[in-house]
Amino acid sequence: MTGGPEPDDGAPTSGPGGGGGDGSVTRRMVLESVGVCASTMYAEAAAASAALASLTEAHAGNPSDDSLAAVREGWKAAIGAWQQVEVLKLGPAGPVTTPGGQGLRDTVYSWPLVSRCLVEQTLVSEAYADPSFAEDALLNVRGLAAAEYLLFFEPAENACGAAATINTSGAWAALAGAELDARKRGYAAVVSADVATIVQGIATAWAPEGGDLAGTLTATGGSGSPFKSDQAALNVVSDGLFYIEREVKDMKLGRPLGKVDCAEAACPAAVESQYARVGRDHVKNNLVGFKRVFDGCGEASARGFDDLLRSLGSADVASDMLSGLDGAIAAADALETSDLVTSLASERDKVEALHAAVKKVTDLLKTDFVTILDLEPPVIVEGDND
Amino acid sequence: MTERLRRALFDERDAAGLAFFRVLLGVLGCVSALRFLHYGWVDEFFVRPTFFFHHWFAPFARPLGATGMHAVFWTMALSGALVALGLAYRLAIVTFFVTITYVQLADVTNYLNHYYLVSLLTLLMCVMPLGRAYSLDALLFPATRRATLPGWCSVLLKVQVGTVYTYAGVAKITTDWLLHAQPLDIWLSSRTGLPVIGPALALPFMPYVMAWAGCLFDLTIAGWLTWRRSRPYAFAVVLFFHFMTSQLFPIGMFPVIMVVGATTFFDASWPRRFLPRRLAAAPAQGPRVVPHRALVALGAAYCALQLLLPLRAFLYGGDVLWHEQGMRFSWRVMVREKNASVTYLVENPRTGRVVEVPPRLYLDGRQQRELGTQPDLVLQLAHKIAADYAQKEGGPVRVRADVLVSLNGRRAARLIDPDVDLATVEDGLAPKAWILPAPTTRPPYLHAPSWNSSTSASRR
Repeated sequence: MTGGPEPDDGAPTSGPGGGGGDGSVTRRMVLESVGVCASTMYAEAAAASAALASLTEAHAGNPSDDSLAAVREGWKAAIGAWQQVEVLKLGPAGPVTTPGGQGLRDTVYSWPLVSRCLVEQTLVSEAYADPSFAEDALLNVRGLAAAEYLLFFEPAENACGAAATINTSGAWAALAGAELDARKRGYAAVVSADVATIVQGIATAWAPEGGDLAGTLTATGGSGSPFKSDQAALNVVSDGLFYIEREVKDMKLGRPLGKVDCAEAACPAAVESQYARVGRDHVKNNLVGFKRVFDGCGEASARGFDDLLRSLGSADVASDMLSGLDGAIAAADALETSDLVTSLASERDKVEALHAAVKKVTDLLKTDFVTILDLEPPVIVEGDND
Repeated sequence: MTERLRRALFDERDAAGLAFFRVLLGVLGCVSALRFLHYGWVDEFFVRPTFFFHHWFAPFARPLGATGMHAVFWTMALSGALVALGLAYRLAIVTFFVTITYVQLADVTNYLNHYYLVSLLTLLMCVMPLGRAYSLDALLFPATRRATLPGWCSVLLKVQVGTVYTYAGVAKITTDWLLHAQPLDIWLSSRTGLPVIGPALALPFMPYVMAWAGCLFDLTIAGWLTWRRSRPYAFAVVLFFHFMTSQLFPIGMFPVIMVVGATTFFDASWPRRFLPRRLAAAPAQGPRVVPHRALVALGAAYCALQLLLPLRAFLYGGDVLWHEQGMRFSWRVMVREKNASVTYLVENPRTGRVVEVPPRLYLDGRQQRELGTQPDLVLQLAHKIAADYAQKEGGPVRVRADVLVSLNGRRAARLIDPDVDLATVEDGLAPKAWILPAPTTRPPYLHAPSWNSSTSASRR
């Protein structure tokens, strides 16, 4: 449990004497930075995804231990870049309910909607080889989550029940080691290529020379803009930041720790990365992505949320959020291994510390941050007010 | 009772003004219900949530399910239309009052001051013969038709509307509002990019100007509307004030309802100014009818209740915006910006195991927003969680709440004693000792971006 600041002697915690704002930073400046930042982050994700696609194709055609090692590193790089953009919930990757959203996020990485059994059924049916796979495939048999299983899971057993057709028919058992490996390589190449295509499309939509979504962010209120005001656009950006509340704090850490929605003392099966075993890195990359969006991608000339808060006179909130993020990232780094499953067993106190550090940030996000910037927390159904 | 008061209450007056008010309020009621249906709010607010908060005095009021709630809102829309038309008026106004009051009771998170006001206005209209003038009832049943109405009808409505304005002003007599211009400063600083008025909102003194103007407006407007000589100017100010608030804030029907409410202060014959000459003459004043003394006492008791109920918040001491005891039904309109982080901690005393329960497991986003700011709602959900986990764990559990709240821009502070087992706490009117004192820090002053900053940004 984290504590809030205690009442003091009555001095304001922000504003004159507390923050010294000058009103020099506008919401539009922040949106401009978010646009540039998002373009950069999606371009990085697109490059990493394209590299993964090349590596999986090469591995499928000419497999070796070296190519397998390379493709696994390629997957880690691609998922690492993608985990950073998870905090962006606008543009084509965003939910269809958001302005310009096409829901493409889940086609790239569907976690927590994953199904090992369905992927194994697809391996048997070879549906991935169908030209229409990219259009028709369910979310949980495609994307980087499917690729993780295909590239990292080596045992021959499957996760489907004994009554499942692939077991009762003997089709799975008939896939001898070499054939199964070959199909996994082929399937991985298909989903990686699909991911590369989708992420490149998203990156192009954001790029100034492409769809220039970044430009759209700073043209609010005009005809054709999906945002009626800078504040509305900023609110959609802020909604994305809440990814670290539900997904990171509760689902990636709280549940494995047995704190949230888990009937046992711990639920290691709920750890995000079950095959590559890089759950710690995912959490860290989510936090890094949050920090990049929050501080304008670290560019000296950029104006992030931290600059806006300082400009308004709430430097203390900006500082606390940045130090909270640094603390959470440091807590992730403090884990001995990137495998959260192992950490839960061997260094649970450090995982608890990471969870507490993330909660410190989410408490700030849900209270001081949204209050000072007059933002609405996400999933609010618009109604009346008074 | 003085003769002046007797005249004001019992003399018959032209029914035209109140008939017009009835039409406007009926249309508003109908439109409000249709808005809920059109925007899908009936399902969002009353069907999809899995948990609903009840008022402690009305635990029986629960949503009726999808079909039932849609039927309620269609009934509300229909009855609103009938009120406007003056057809089966008495049945329609009672139905409208019952339905709109029910939907507010069905889930506390739907409480809004302006819905409450409409409930009260329609309750008053239930006892007024407003359907007998300028209505289809009067057309269909000429024997019931009347051209005048007793003065107490307009007096009660004026008292009701005047109470709202005046207590909304009283609620603004705080250091946050008057000395720190909060939460206006927060709200205006996020709107400086608006076209036309944005640059003005960025002026450093603007939050203070608007805070003081808003407070003075609320405190005095009922008086200005009552005084015949100032009334036209006062109504112009009413129109301007509510137009501006409707443009700046998402307050739905509230501005329209208040503008319609302000018409109750007009002369009884005011609509005739806009009628053809043959209808412009006011009817002859009818004979004075003094109701039974018990009815007069009932009316007086109602007015006293309306005047006293909002004051109950002062009995609790402290900052009502923080502890919210006495907040509802007291016309504290748009005086707080409050956001919370809430986590429940459920402990099995037999095993010592503690689990976290995020409110989203029970509530939708809108309900979550209301939850954290209102301690009695935190308590209600704690009871639900306690019941669920007692069943799951095979025995009673302890439920604590980790609640951090930011009020009017102050840094977040803990709202509820984190050591108190809320499963053992009962709700009621008594002061809630488990609510921690409000932070003593002053709210911030925000330096809103200037118009020039905005311009330079767009030029980059």
